[in-house]
Amino acid sequence: MSSDRPDDSEGLESLFDADSDREPVPRSQRLERQFDLYVAAPVRVAMTDWRAIVGTAIILVFILMGTLGVWLVDKPTSGDAPVLEPPFQNPSYILGTDTFGQPIGAQLIHATPDMFRMVFAGAVVSVGFAAVVGVVSGFLRGSTVDTTLMAITDIIITIPGLPLVIVLIAIFQPGNPYVIGVLLGLDNWPGLARTVRSQVLSIREESYVEASQIMGISTGTILHRDVLAQLMPYITVNSALASRRIIFESVGLYFLGILPFTTFNWGVMMNIAYEGNALNRPDMYHFLAFPLLTIFLMSFGLVLFSQGMDSVFNVRLRARHSSTIDDDGGPKS
Amino acid sequence: MSETDTIVEVRDLDITFQMNRGQSRVVRDVDLDVARNETLGIIGESGSGKSMLASSFLNAVVEPGVSTGEVTYHPEDGDPIPVLELSESELDRFRWEHVAMVFQGAMSSFNPVTKIRTHFRETLQDHNCDIPAGMDRARELLESVYLDPDRILASHPHELSGGMKQRALIALSLVLEPDVLVLDEPTAALDLLMQRSIVTLLRELQEEYDLTLVFITHDLPLLTKIADRLAVMYAFNVVEIGTTGDLLYNASHPYTRALLDTTPDLNVPVDEMSIIEGSKPDPVDRIPGCSYNPRCPMADDHCRSEEPPMMEVRDTQESACFYYDEAADAVPISAAPDKNPPAGRTTAIDGGDN
Amino acid sequence: MRTDYFVKRVGQAVLTFFATVTLTFVLYRMMPGGPAEALQNVILQQQMGSGNTIDPARVERLVAQYTNLQSDAPLYEQYIQYMSSVFLEQDLGESLYEDASVTSLLAERIPWSMLISVYAMVIGYTVSIVLGAVMAFKEKSRFDSISSIVVIGLNSTPYYVVGILFIFFFGIRNEFFPTGGRVGLGVEEGFNAAFMQSIAYHAALPVLSMSVLGLGTALTMRGNSVRVLGEDYLRVAKLRGLRNSRIATQYVGRNAILPMYTQFMIGIAGVLSSSVIVEEIFSYPGVGLLVYDAIQVRNYPVLMGSLIVFTLVTIVAILIADLTYGFIDPRISSGGTDE
Repeated sequence: MSSDRPDDSEGLESLFDADSDREPVPRSQRLERQFDLYVAAPVRVAMTDWRAIVGTAIILVFILMGTLGVWLVDKPTSGDAPVLEPPFQNPSYILGTDTFGQPIGAQLIHATPDMFRMVFAGAVVSVGFAAVVGVVSGFLRGSTVDTTLMAITDIIITIPGLPLVIVLIAIFQPGNPYVIGVLLGLDNWPGLARTVRSQVLSIREESYVEASQIMGISTGTILHRDVLAQLMPYITVNSALASRRIIFESVGLYFLGILPFTTFNWGVMMNIAYEGNALNRPDMYHFLAFPLLTIFLMSFGLVLFSQGMDSVFNVRLRARHSSTIDDDGGPKS
Repeated sequence: MSETDTIVEVRDLDITFQMNRGQSRVVRDVDLDVARNETLGIIGESGSGKSMLASSFLNAVVEPGVSTGEVTYHPEDGDPIPVLELSESELDRFRWEHVAMVFQGAMSSFNPVTKIRTHFRETLQDHNCDIPAGMDRARELLESVYLDPDRILASHPHELSGGMKQRALIALSLVLEPDVLVLDEPTAALDLLMQRSIVTLLRELQEEYDLTLVFITHDLPLLTKIADRLAVMYAFNVVEIGTTGDLLYNASHPYTRALLDTTPDLNVPVDEMSIIEGSKPDPVDRIPGCSYNPRCPMADDHCRSEEPPMMEVRDTQESACFYYDEAADAVPISAAPDKNPPAGRTTAIDGGDN
Repeated sequence: MRTDYFVKRVGQAVLTFFATVTLTFVLYRMMPGGPAEALQNVILQQQMGSGNTIDPARVERLVAQYTNLQSDAPLYEQYIQYMSSVFLEQDLGESLYEDASVTSLLAERIPWSMLISVYAMVIGYTVSIVLGAVMAFKEKSRFDSISSIVVIGLNSTPYYVVGILFIFFFGIRNEFFPTGGRVGLGVEEGFNAAFMQSIAYHAALPVLSMSVLGLGTALTMRGNSVRVLGEDYLRVAKLRGLRNSRIATQYVGRNAILPMYTQFMIGIAGVLSSSVIVEEIFSYPGVGLLVYDAIQVRNYPVLMGSLIVFTLVTIVAILIADLTYGFIDPRISSGGTDE
């Protein structure tokens, strides 16, 4: 397995070594190997991919904001501070204050936990649904269950997400971030479900799964050991992308005022600033700019993370690509 | 053999890749002459550098490989062409017009979204050939590879079977009337029957169109059916070369003999010739002396310190072994090779040998 | 073979549409207290203003008129009634506020939204395809890595944020483009240059900010091109001494773009549904703005009607994509039995 890429050949080789000798081994050793194959090796490779590093770092900062930050910074209330304090002037409100005298930095921080709740609920719903439907459907290929699930998937894939969500929100007026997350995640699973299904199908084709079946290893074990492990890349990458989408949509809906203002949210801040004609008022620029920047940063982190993980996990593809480079002359092919 | 008989002349050819482990030399200091109208078989295990050597005939080593040395093409009339020094546009003309290549990915050698007709037409067009005349030739070629021209030309690649695609590709490779056809494992993905019929076909084509064939494979039995001469590659270099008869009955390099030994019945092909004991050579860290010494039963200190040059065994045969005359005793071949004459024209090369 | 496929796909599309309309029925029923009670409040407010007396039978009648739901009938009858009015009469109900049917409201707005959605996708995809291909040709170069960062950055910017920035920079700081409306005042309608120009002028910023939605494809295109560049047929094409321009278009381009075709068609529908947010920002009177206004006043018939129409557009787009895919990718159409 030679590679002309200086950055990842070590990690790749260890991946392949671990994968090539699948023999019955003691459980502890197997776990160790699996850990190495699916956790340690990707992490090692990820450490060489700058996108994965930067993406993870940005996400970590946001997680710190949502946990430690909330605890360190007081919840902002109206009249805390002078109205429309410009940013980078007063160390107590570094990012300035809004039209109600609430520090902007504190608002951004206190909006984070609910954002995470939404993202968490939405990602769990969309990715979870997708994984369950895809795996079940893939394993029962051709059965009535498969046909029905795929028919439903095809229908839901067709219903445009945003208008449906808007109707649902108009009817139910949800305030709870988990509920909002679930509603936003509801239309997001069918695409991934199809991907998962085709992955399951191709994994099923692979010889060692067949061998496991012949050896009498139960479907559950195969599912757990081979299928889920191989699906992890898709699930990780898609969770990040689903999260980004949920952030986009929820912030957008708060910004439009379609979601009720029951909580701090970057979109709510944008709405108030925008409605307050911030675009025409230089003294209000920062009120609009910082939420914008925050949304950008968080989704930038998520996209970088997903891109990074994509290339980290996409070992097969890269291996095939690099094998075209040394089709004959490679050291040990 | 004399200069005028040579159609492709390879001198001091090196092909290297830069890797983070160091420089990988996948073809090392190769000298080779291909005679006009002969069929030269190049054999070696996978990773011996034979495909790289073949690619260099068209200066088509995949990036980021670097070829140095000389590859000279001698047209029937006109000045010799230094293949490795051609510019991009000169190469575009040279390739397919003088030397064409069919390589192992034949199954996927066609653009999946265009018809076979388009493949012929665009090739003719981009080489500024007369298209109606060229298409007539294409039909003729398709017929001579036993395909129905109208049907094939109107098909998309996915509508053809593997064998049909392979034959269509051979027809495509001859559409610009090249003199040399390089075949890199052309039969690898085909079933046994199809392999044999392609070989028969190639021989017929060679007669009909005065072709020089360079046939690369790890399938020794197949090669003995078609090649006039054989070159054996080991560890990125040619270790023995001679007529097919020389090598089958008087192999003088221990590696060639080991190869023959692992192929007991020449009518049964082996897919991979990695049965020989010992590890494969490394293109980055070269061992001193003869590259075969770790696996060779005859190896002594001389072999471990100095690299043997090509030594003349007879007029038609050369071997890179200090002890070529002892190899027969040291490495016996348990099963005697097939008693039937292996290739139809094993003696053809002698004719050109003054 | 082909007609079978055609019938099957069209059947699927009809079924999907049927399911969507059923879904809107279910959504009506799921409203807290049912449609009658939910709409009652809205109707009461509305009637109050006009000074009319309120009697329950009248409310009932109005609900039926607006939504096609006879809320006192048994459930299955309501369903049949609802479905038949949608399918047989193309009746999506009536707006609670304007004195107009939902169908006519949507029909008037849809072309404008389609206009900006289609252009946004075409621009987004064209840029993506060119950029992605160049990135793949220069894989691992400085250009490739810088473009990757730019594309990831654009991909991380919600289209409405792009919209806000555009308004700020090109509508307010520099008054290059208008920030609202779809045609200038006093421009005469019809096929005249001034009218067309005014349309393009007003659509420019919405189109550009939505085109960001298509830009993520640059990375897909890059990936596809890198894959095609490693294919055997590409190597053979180079060995055949084909012209670079032919290799770039017929070999790399065609094979890399093909898998993105269906995505593109679905993307148009996706962009169309994003118009709710973009049209509000730009006060662009398309379906999106209609939906936005409907939410503000709980104009349920309009909301449900637009959901149905959005879905219909998506279904048609996917259907067109599926049925035409065979023409551009021979591997699908013939299925091996054609010739």
